[in-house]
Amino acid sequence: MEVEQLTGNLLQGLVLGAVYGMATMGLSLIFGVLRIVNVGHGAFIMVGAFITLWLFNAFGINPLLAIPFAFMFGMGLGLIFYYAAIRKLRNAPELATLLVTFSFGILLEEVVKFIFGSEFRGYNWIVGKVNLGVTVLPMSKMYACFGSALVALLLYLWFNKTRAGVAMRSVVQDSEGARVCGVNVGGVYAFSFALGIGLTVVSGVMLTMFIPVGINPYMGGGYTLKAFVIAVLGGLSSPYGAFFGGLIFGLIENGSYTLFALIPGVEPFAMTRFLSFAMLLIILLIKPTGLLSTK
Amino acid sequence: MKKKLIKFYPLIPVFTVYILLFFIGKNVPGMWQLVAMLLFYCALGQAFNIFLGMTGYVDFGYVAFMGVGTYGMALAITRLASIEELGIGIIVAGFALALLMSTLLSLAVGAVALRLRGAYFAIATIGVNEGLRFLIEGARIWNGSEGLIFVSDINNILGRDTADALMTFWADVMVLVIAALAAVVTLYYMRSKIGYALTALREDEDAAKVMGINVTKYKIIAFITSSCFAGLIGAASWALKTPYVFPPEVFEIQYTIEAIIIVLLGGAGTLLGPVAGGLIYGISKYYLAVYVPGFQLLIFAPIIIVIITLFPEGILGMLKNRFQNTGLAHFII
Amino acid sequence: MEVAMKRKYFKTLFIIFTLFLFIVSGYANAAARSPDKIQIGHPACLSGKYAKAGEQAVGGIKACINWVNNVYGGVKIKGGKVPLVYKFYDSESKKESVTSLIARLITVDKVNVIFSPYSSGLTLRGAPITESRRMLYMDHGGANNKIFQQGFRYIVQTIGPASRYHEGTLDMIRMIDPKAKRVALAYEDSEFGKMVMDGAEKHSKKLGFDIVFQRTYPKGVTDLTPLLSALKSSKPDIVLGGGHFEDGQLFNRQMADLDINVNALSLIAAATLPAFYEALTNMAEGVMGPSHWEYGVKYSTEEAKKAGIDWIGPSQEEFVDYFKKAVGKDIVPDYHAAEAGAQVLAYVKAVENANSLNSDKVRKALGKLKFMSFYGNWEIDETGLQIGHSMVDAQWQNSKRVIVWPIEAQTGEAYYPMPTFSDKSKGKVAVPE
Repeated sequence: MEVEQLTGNLLQGLVLGAVYGMATMGLSLIFGVLRIVNVGHGAFIMVGAFITLWLFNAFGINPLLAIPFAFMFGMGLGLIFYYAAIRKLRNAPELATLLVTFSFGILLEEVVKFIFGSEFRGYNWIVGKVNLGVTVLPMSKMYACFGSALVALLLYLWFNKTRAGVAMRSVVQDSEGARVCGVNVGGVYAFSFALGIGLTVVSGVMLTMFIPVGINPYMGGGYTLKAFVIAVLGGLSSPYGAFFGGLIFGLIENGSYTLFALIPGVEPFAMTRFLSFAMLLIILLIKPTGLLSTK
Repeated sequence: MKKKLIKFYPLIPVFTVYILLFFIGKNVPGMWQLVAMLLFYCALGQAFNIFLGMTGYVDFGYVAFMGVGTYGMALAITRLASIEELGIGIIVAGFALALLMSTLLSLAVGAVALRLRGAYFAIATIGVNEGLRFLIEGARIWNGSEGLIFVSDINNILGRDTADALMTFWADVMVLVIAALAAVVTLYYMRSKIGYALTALREDEDAAKVMGINVTKYKIIAFITSSCFAGLIGAASWALKTPYVFPPEVFEIQYTIEAIIIVLLGGAGTLLGPVAGGLIYGISKYYLAVYVPGFQLLIFAPIIIVIITLFPEGILGMLKNRFQNTGLAHFII
Repeated sequence: MEVAMKRKYFKTLFIIFTLFLFIVSGYANAAARSPDKIQIGHPACLSGKYAKAGEQAVGGIKACINWVNNVYGGVKIKGGKVPLVYKFYDSESKKESVTSLIARLITVDKVNVIFSPYSSGLTLRGAPITESRRMLYMDHGGANNKIFQQGFRYIVQTIGPASRYHEGTLDMIRMIDPKAKRVALAYEDSEFGKMVMDGAEKHSKKLGFDIVFQRTYPKGVTDLTPLLSALKSSKPDIVLGGGHFEDGQLFNRQMADLDINVNALSLIAAATLPAFYEALTNMAEGVMGPSHWEYGVKYSTEEAKKAGIDWIGPSQEEFVDYFKKAVGKDIVPDYHAAEAGAQVLAYVKAVENANSLNSDKVRKALGKLKFMSFYGNWEIDETGLQIGHSMVDAQWQNSKRVIVWPIEAQTGEAYYPMPTFSDKSKGKVAVPE
């Protein structure tokens, strides 16, 4: 009985983890290139969720088709925010960027609340289910999982196989050196910020495919915290590391429930959350560069 | 002699603000609770500044120390309520327990997390905060998510009138005292070896190490001091003034972010900065809530973005540059 | 250039600073209280985490105040008819703001009564201030029973106590299906959710149900799969649970995702809101929820006459009309609006009975007050706890909310057992034959 449940939960965790990973890639990318922690991260996820909701409910557009739209919108948003504030703060103390990105988050939340209201919303996109015996997986969740994996793969290829990607990586490793070698560092910064926000907004689309309900302007806060933890698991500055960090996180969150349920007197669900944060601390202590790094 | 006194000039503006606030609150009807809110924000900024401002480390889980401080006071009141002889001593016991719990937590966190730097440190402290909250809920420690509600306990111990005065007035006075104490400690640190060591650390941690400064020791001193003040603020403002504890409310990360905003608006690492930041933050929030209910955040967020983009060093940083070589420079640090 | 710019910034900053100082020091001259109005003060939650419920409450209060002023003609006191005035600020759902705004309402605006902010925590935060100022404090958003065990003298509750949320549901199922045995309880891990769960647990045992599953999930979860998988394997007949809005939607959605079919599913807070069905559509068919009030309840002047209780307030239709006007949107009010609105009526009635605005006298009058309004019955015990109001249970039947319990408030029969999720996705609706 327990074994069956555990297997089911692990499978669910893997699917969820892929989406979590997707939701963290943008954060890692921005941190990797610009050394900025985007504290307003969750708000951009929320924007993606609202884009999907709006396209689906108003025009009946398939959430998968919302992805390119969300990506373009996110890129635009990223560019606006970059040129409005981030560019001036590149050499300012770390704290200043924390605050500014946090304020971006609030601003987005309040604007969305102003337009859509504070209601909890959802949409209903039914594309069948897969019964795996130990658990049931709706197809929409599978699309979100595979879509996320695909994005991670594309990002990996782009970073390693294209000129622009390699230039970006050179900035991550040594921005002065890259400048000397003729890389347009300012342009790379702007583009990376926009790309990071674009990915984050897309992850909002993926998340609603996984959980298409409870969409509201303040939904992002919890995801910001989770993304921080996942980013650390993946080494903080590596976007595809973040993807694997997400997988690990999803497995732990879902998998440990069955184990904690065996202990009397505790609430297993809250304990799974405790475990994921305790693990974060342990990893930071033992291997702060992330589980996957070879350093 | 005079030189010695000059060292303490910067306390004059800080204390003037606090005394002014106190008298405005005491004498203008209806102002006390606003003053209480401003004092809370000033105290929060001042306490947080000791660590964040002086070391440049961003402790995102700062609110956890306020949380355990709140629990310290709450536990003292609920567990010792049956001892009648204690009387007002129960508050003292509460503060002692709050102090003890926040010190222990800061020792544990300091030993683990302070080895990390930058974003890694920030995220580790988030982990501490969230982990603690879920541990309390999950393992059902201290009544778990049902929390503790103890108005009737305070009433029983102190009598209704004293209890009312405590919850609506004296708790705020305690916050004022804590804020003032934090200011004194900040200045003391700034003017002692600790301050110089921490400045070196903030500029370049590795270079400071090479120069033979025991960086870790000073970091931990600042960290523990700051955390203890957080515990005291929690005990006064969240346990005595708000006589209940629900875990999600006392570990709410929003408060850390508010503290960061206050410190940064005013100017990190300055003495007067957190006071200026707390006042600006509190007053603008209050009047936005009064005049444009429902839209204050929509207005507030762009203002923060503009201020930070124009003055990344905060308002005090800007003032400091401006008055660098004038007589006022003695007062502004 | 650079220097000139900096100077300009400095100047503007200086102006802002002096302005603040000016505002702070110069507002002792508060408006004098005019005896020709009665003011209700409210540190509302228009933004922050309780924005959704807060918006409804403000709409409900405005609606009933408009009704009192325009239809009822004002509050009858000392021979005159006095209009109500509503004074509200946004507390941002934050405790620091709640106390400072309550103090402002009492001393600067000189209101006659304070309505509490949403949630038990914020209500408790404000209580010491109102108690020490001997100001009546009416609670429409804090359901925690413990608030009324603290010895407060000026708090009066309109929302019913949390421990009774799921009692009606269990009574109903016992009656419809005497053979149903296995109950699963899965609530949010919060003071409110826990209290509802304790109440449901006690009542289930009393009615002879077996509790086969009892777990909580933390606030703010975004995936309930592990909990629901465990719930599924305990094979319950009936599932009771919930906590707030977003987790309620999630609960139902993931039950559907995991194909957990039960005879009855009842969720607190979320399930009866229109947004719930909009978000879930056919998956919500047959899902139930307890509610303090739902559009469609049958309370009316005739009912009141039959029961021999006074009636006050707008009819249900009038209330809904006034509510829509107040919020400026075409939305049906939910129970947060209704309970806040009913609280206005309770206050008006008590002021008239006491023939005074003195908080002590009005509090005494509230203690004796018994009336019916569109919201239902209203009566408190000596601690201020609401005991007169009974909850209704609503069920989604073909995209409409039907009140299925208690029998005297019914607008339709309950559909039981709930259709399976695969039947629902094929278009089956939960309409009884």
